[in-house]
Amino acid sequence: MKSKIITAVVALVIVVLMGMGYDSSARHHSHEQAGEVDVKELIFEHLGDAYGWEVPFNHSQSIPLPIIVWGKDGLHCFMSNRITGGETYEGYKISTSEDYHGKVVQVLDDGSEYRPWDFSITKNVAGIAIAAVLVIVMVMSLKRWYARNGMKAPRRLKGALELVVDFVYTDTIRPILGKNAPKYASYLMTAFFFILTMNLLGLIVIFPGGANLTGNIAVTLVLAVLTFLITNFSGTKEYWKEIFWPDVPVMLKFPAPIMPLVELLGIFTKPMALMIRLFANMMSGHMVVIVLISLIFVFTSQFSVGVGAGTIVPSLAFTLFMLLLDTLISFIQAYVFTLLSAIFISMAIVEPHTHETK
Amino acid sequence: MELFTPEFGLVFWMFVAFACLYFILAKWGWPFIIKSMEERADLIDKGVAYAQQAKANLDNAKAEADKLIAEAQSQQADILREAARMRTELIEKARSDAAEEEKKVRAASQISLEQARKEAEKQMRLEMGDLALQIAEKVIRRNLSGDDAQRALVDQYLNEVETKN
Repeated sequence: MKSKIITAVVALVIVVLMGMGYDSSARHHSHEQAGEVDVKELIFEHLGDAYGWEVPFNHSQSIPLPIIVWGKDGLHCFMSNRITGGETYEGYKISTSEDYHGKVVQVLDDGSEYRPWDFSITKNVAGIAIAAVLVIVMVMSLKRWYARNGMKAPRRLKGALELVVDFVYTDTIRPILGKNAPKYASYLMTAFFFILTMNLLGLIVIFPGGANLTGNIAVTLVLAVLTFLITNFSGTKEYWKEIFWPDVPVMLKFPAPIMPLVELLGIFTKPMALMIRLFANMMSGHMVVIVLISLIFVFTSQFSVGVGAGTIVPSLAFTLFMLLLDTLISFIQAYVFTLLSAIFISMAIVEPHTHETK
Repeated sequence: MELFTPEFGLVFWMFVAFACLYFILAKWGWPFIIKSMEERADLIDKGVAYAQQAKANLDNAKAEADKLIAEAQSQQADILREAARMRTELIEKARSDAAEEEKKVRAASQISLEQARKEAEKQMRLEMGDLALQIAEKVIRRNLSGDDAQRALVDQYLNEVETKN
């Protein structure tokens, strides 16, 4: 009985909040297309980066973040709330043009826009910093536990954390890399927990979360490039030999180097696949959730408020399902990235085969 | 499309963030955690192995003790049987020894008795001879005196002999 009351209250609160959200959302977009919801714009706004961190139920206010740009006239630092309203500050504004849409540009004397070197602490950069701090706090708390309690098994949150560490290191990295595991464990574990934290933070819709971090190709690019560098810098002679002179019939590698070319391409496609897999999985998850929520507003603007209100329950049910699925995907994708990185590294540190193939 | 073009600033900050994170965790975090976890896993493995060994030892010990007890019991029975056997043997031997000794003693005493008898006979013969000789000597010496006198003499000597013996 008690739980039923709680459920009813929560449902009511959600419906009211959704109504408020609809209200502000409609108001926000009203100046562009009266009453119409620009779903595409809405989606890209949520998936993309921003100068400032929006707060719930309020589209005109956001948490200001520092903007750091290196323009033609040198370094400029100011808070984002000086320009997010569309103003120009110290010659900088957020562009509305086709080329630099939504980015900070410098307005030159002749009125043209120049895109400066942009080191701004955007929403995503802040999100990354928060994720990094969270990972450090988690890992260091586990480390402190071991330092203080020695052989005692940790309980509660640290126990869960240890379970994941054990799963990733003992059951994944060590079997793949064998005796080289400790050497690469730090990178792989850091990557795993960083990706996992960013993935999960992305699913929390309000402030410390909400930034679409791993669904941003810049983030996955860095991670993939790091795996690429580590893989190829630890490549053994045997690894390079297998690329440039693989064990295939001679006519496949001389005079036309078909296999070496394929192998060489493989060096780049592997991290590329890492980058795209993580990016696409996380981005699509976010996108589906946003589309499902947007359905309510689309139906409202297309038909009537009644139809829109009728969409709320199925839409929320699907959203909840998607978010749960995304939680699973968050873990799986972090795991897959770590697993594949470990496999690529293990393939690079290969020793010469014991059996002779002549 | 905007989504598919990595933003330079974000790449830069992501790299910086990851580098910092990696530096901190690789220096103070992971190696210690992994080492601790492996140590604990080793400890647990060893503990399990030790417990199994101990249990096996305990089971073994019980079996060993049972075996020892059974052995001791059989040994005890053996000893008792042996003792009984030895006792009867001893008694038997003592008996037979005694009988033999007795026989020996008896034989020896018979021999010595015989010897004594022979000795006595020999002695008697010697003495009788001597005596006869003496008597004969005396008879011959007093040959000429009357019959009565001679007879009385013989009697006298015989008396003498008898009193002498």
